[in-house]
Amino acid sequence: MPMKLGEIVARLYLAFMIALVWLPIAFMIMLSFKTGGSVSFPIQGLTLDWYVAKPKGYEYISYISVLYDSAFWEALQNSALVSAAVGATTCLIVTATALALRHRVVGRDALFYLILLGFIVPGVSLGLGHVVMYKQLNLEFTFWSAVAVDVVFTVPFGLVLMMARFDPDLMLYEQAASVLKASPVNVFRRVTMPLVKWEILTAGVLGFVLSWSELVRTSFVMKGTGVLATYIFNQMQINPVTPKWYAAGTIIASVSFVGLILVGYIMSRTAK
Amino acid sequence: MVKLTNYAMLLPGLISCLIFLIIPLAMIVSMSISTYATTSVPGSAAGALTFENYVKFFTSPQTPTILFNTFGMAFLTCFMVFIFAYPMAYILNFKIKSSIVKNYTLWFLTVPFLIDWTIRTVAWIPILGESGIINYILMSLRITSRPLTELLFTRYTLMIIWLQTYVLFMMFPITLALGRIDPDLIAAAKVLKAPPWRVFYDIIFKLSLPGVVCGFIFVFVSILGDFVTPGLWAGGLQTMGLSIAWYSGHFVWPYAAALSTILLAIALVVLYILLKVVDIKKLIYE
Repeated sequence: MPMKLGEIVARLYLAFMIALVWLPIAFMIMLSFKTGGSVSFPIQGLTLDWYVAKPKGYEYISYISVLYDSAFWEALQNSALVSAAVGATTCLIVTATALALRHRVVGRDALFYLILLGFIVPGVSLGLGHVVMYKQLNLEFTFWSAVAVDVVFTVPFGLVLMMARFDPDLMLYEQAASVLKASPVNVFRRVTMPLVKWEILTAGVLGFVLSWSELVRTSFVMKGTGVLATYIFNQMQINPVTPKWYAAGTIIASVSFVGLILVGYIMSRTAK
Repeated sequence: MVKLTNYAMLLPGLISCLIFLIIPLAMIVSMSISTYATTSVPGSAAGALTFENYVKFFTSPQTPTILFNTFGMAFLTCFMVFIFAYPMAYILNFKIKSSIVKNYTLWFLTVPFLIDWTIRTVAWIPILGESGIINYILMSLRITSRPLTELLFTRYTLMIIWLQTYVLFMMFPITLALGRIDPDLIAAAKVLKAPPWRVFYDIIFKLSLPGVVCGFIFVFVSILGDFVTPGLWAGGLQTMGLSIAWYSGHFVWPYAAALSTILLAIALVVLYILLKVVDIKKLIYE
């Protein structure tokens, strides 16, 4: 039957794309367990040294196991904090803006394009702009400078995705509620909120994810250890690629995997 | 009859845009047209109006190559990502019925994106590197006698890495646009005996264009602004992003600012033309 064949081809294509995206990741995971400092085949022996070996005290950072690389954990922590802050801020701004933009407010298109400009500006231009701004105003980089530079481009992403997913009849329900004399607060709490809460959560997750893997913009405004992306990028500029970094990647991948499964599980459980 | 609260709700977005987007961009533009001593810390003295940075850029013999590299690569990569991503979005929307398969596909595609950017790109070394798996296969099949070093540091490497990174960005908005197509339209066309390619082209593809454009913007702009991947893997390929990063890293900020302004201007022109052709607001409101 032709239907069946189409379905098989479709599934094979999806599997092929997943394999393509995962190909380097699979090699990364494999090679993170190998002995010896080069990241190539053949694998002569397997070891957990890149994860947990105690450093002897004279190695370069590329040869210290992930567990004992304190800067790595500090950067990971910074990343988690920055991303969480970006996720929360994105959530708030996107929700407020998206709900208001559905109405025919004056200058709706102008504001929409202004926000859209946030991801139209190439990352390198925006990063430079922030550096210049901080220097000209004599400000120091803080935790929040990384959050700010990320929020500028996560908000447009979130806004586009959120508004595209709003229930088309949402405004009708709201109007029905207010015609029936529900107070604005009640309309929001009882009608709007339950209908858009998944979109709100999605925007937050999206902000977190985008900020987590953001390097171009963040690299301009980070000082010290920085977030994970800038820390590893800086290390790669001066240090050789060893299985240690693959071990770090494997750890990040596992944490992300568990995190995503958890988010998905919670969403599917509460959505019912 | 729009209430005041609606305007109040727009404020956070507006204010954050003004402070963290408009002010930095304004400062870049103003810095690019004033006469600061090129190596001193800017802000020390206000300069006079000058266009020397722009003149310098447009008279440099490297400029055509840099522009061609930057925008040629961006367009080509976008097109390639689109070719790979559209079938995925189509399949996820129309061919896969079970939501479990859909969700797992999305998860599996998202996880690699969460792995650190740098690690994800250096993970290509065991595949494309000098003693990587591809060279191993080529040499054991006796197709080449010595390992190819060209695999790792060319523009093709760059495109593969970008494909891996951005395929999700292209797929997501297209999936959204496809999901908004009224199934009755497709059913009606089929009932009226439209051939399958017309159903696809006239209904599905045309209605998904806002999503395609959205994805195109995501990918195009991300590639324009990326200096990290070309810096690591392009093997000396010069792009605008790399130049900006290099000059700002060496504190030649006015010139870097001029480059940034030019990059932004060209990106805006490209996207303006695109948005004239396709109204992406259809994806969002109306």
